[in-house]
Amino acid sequence: MNRVLTLASFNISMILAERMGLVLSWALFALQFGIFGSLMSHLVQSTKVQDYFFFYGVGLMVITVFDTGSFVGRRFVERAHEGELPYYLSLPISRRGFLESQAVYGVVATILRAGPPLIGVLAFTGRFTLPGAFFALLSLTTLGLGISGIMISFSFIAFKSIDIYNAIIAGLSALLVRFSTVFYPLIFIPSFYSPVAVFSPLTYGADLTRWVLGFDPHLLLNPILAAVVVTAIALGTLSLSAGIVDKIIEGVKAA
Amino acid sequence: MFAVETLSLSKKYGKTDALRELNFTVDEGEIMVILGPNGSGKTTLLMTLCTILKPTSGTAKVMGIDVVKDGTKVREVMGIAFQEARGFWRHKPSSILKFHASMFDIDPVKRQDLIEQTMKELELWESRDKLFMHLSGGQAKRLETAKVLVQRPKLAIFDEPTSQVDLRGKRKIWDKIRELRDQGSTIIVATNEVREAEYLADRVTILHKGTLVVRDSIPKLKDAIAGGDVVEVGFEDPVADKLVEDLKNLGGILTMSPEGNQLRANVSKAEDWVPRMTSASYNMGAKISTIKITEPSLDDVFLHFTGKSLEENP
Repeated sequence: MNRVLTLASFNISMILAERMGLVLSWALFALQFGIFGSLMSHLVQSTKVQDYFFFYGVGLMVITVFDTGSFVGRRFVERAHEGELPYYLSLPISRRGFLESQAVYGVVATILRAGPPLIGVLAFTGRFTLPGAFFALLSLTTLGLGISGIMISFSFIAFKSIDIYNAIIAGLSALLVRFSTVFYPLIFIPSFYSPVAVFSPLTYGADLTRWVLGFDPHLLLNPILAAVVVTAIALGTLSLSAGIVDKIIEGVKAA
Repeated sequence: MFAVETLSLSKKYGKTDALRELNFTVDEGEIMVILGPNGSGKTTLLMTLCTILKPTSGTAKVMGIDVVKDGTKVREVMGIAFQEARGFWRHKPSSILKFHASMFDIDPVKRQDLIEQTMKELELWESRDKLFMHLSGGQAKRLETAKVLVQRPKLAIFDEPTSQVDLRGKRKIWDKIRELRDQGSTIIVATNEVREAEYLADRVTILHKGTLVVRDSIPKLKDAIAGGDVVEVGFEDPVADKLVEDLKNLGGILTMSPEGNQLRANVSKAEDWVPRMTSASYNMGAKISTIKITEPSLDDVFLHFTGKSLEENP
């Protein structure tokens, strides 16, 4: 366990070494929330959604978590191509332990990127409570783990062709975000479109986080179902990733 | 027990055979140099031994531990300096070494001194606070070596440890590798540099197209080449035909080509042939002015066993 944490903290120190990137991501979030959120909330006038500004803010956080999860997955692939992965695979840590360290890294990365925006949105909209912030962060982090797991699970494609991997990830990202309830409640989504939205993990992550933060449950999926799906995706994809690292991925191909 | 033992080890990349039924052993406490051109399978073998690559078939053991069944235990007893020193762009050499030492449970009390000492010996101390991305190729390569030196593993693997390193740096790295062997580690060095192999090897394994061609100490490999020693003799007068005939009758000679005052002979063992040659020349009244003996290089050994030069493409 000690080695898992040592490896995770070494990776985390890389994020901290890029502090400017972190600050810029928060600034971008604030800009998007302030300008687009404010504009959108004026455009959306519905008696069913009483506070679209807040609804949008949570959606934006889910997008941030999605980006962070994707980043963690992409970093995994980049490490392989930049030569770091063979080094990690030569360290005295089991493959499962290596994945656990990546998961810890993913959790901390999510907290660092999404935590301050979450607190900012809650404070700005006057909804800040410690339990609310804690459970929302827990929900977002679990979603982030699932997204990282999905991206790492696809990484075996990158070992065949990085171009195909990039194309698949770009397509998948577009679908997962657009066909979800990140910016619109499920009940407003047309019937020809809504069945697709239930296949996006972001739908469950977004609705669970909103439920935790006290949003009208009538606009959301069943929170128990959402919690089960988000947890199952995280556990399932991380187990799949562990299997892939152990059985398929090899650090280098050199003769 | 061998420090390293492979049995019928094969590795395929698609349809390409990188290793073919390789039987290979390394004794404990020796420096085994694996010599071969690019594409001979050196790196694949090393990557398999340190559990990064999985064999397609066959077995490999490090210190008696199976690399497939017990990968984590294997990684605890070995360390590798990779051919390409890459990654960790935003880390400093000192923090990379600290991380490496902590992963291998190096005593925290001794850790800092060990890192400082190793960095000074490899002339990295002045660059300790530079980011990795600002290091030169040679410095990055020396840092790769420093990781293994700090770790002091039972089995230390160096994959082309001095490529991109200047001549002075090469000598330092070689001396440190020998010192590591003297402290009890078993060493494997993969290289295609003849000079590196000559300086380091207790024994040499020649790999060619994924198969083991020959394995022995350098003197024995050189002696195995019939006519490998070249003796060039300078006489004060032109070489007489009678002398050439007498020298041919001495035996142990493969070819001889007299030209004016010079005579060039390819012999199996120069140390045996030269005394007999000087004696015969003295008896014939031929006065010798110079003798130059050249023994075969490892490149010649490689050429002899594989039919190809080390510098040729596979």
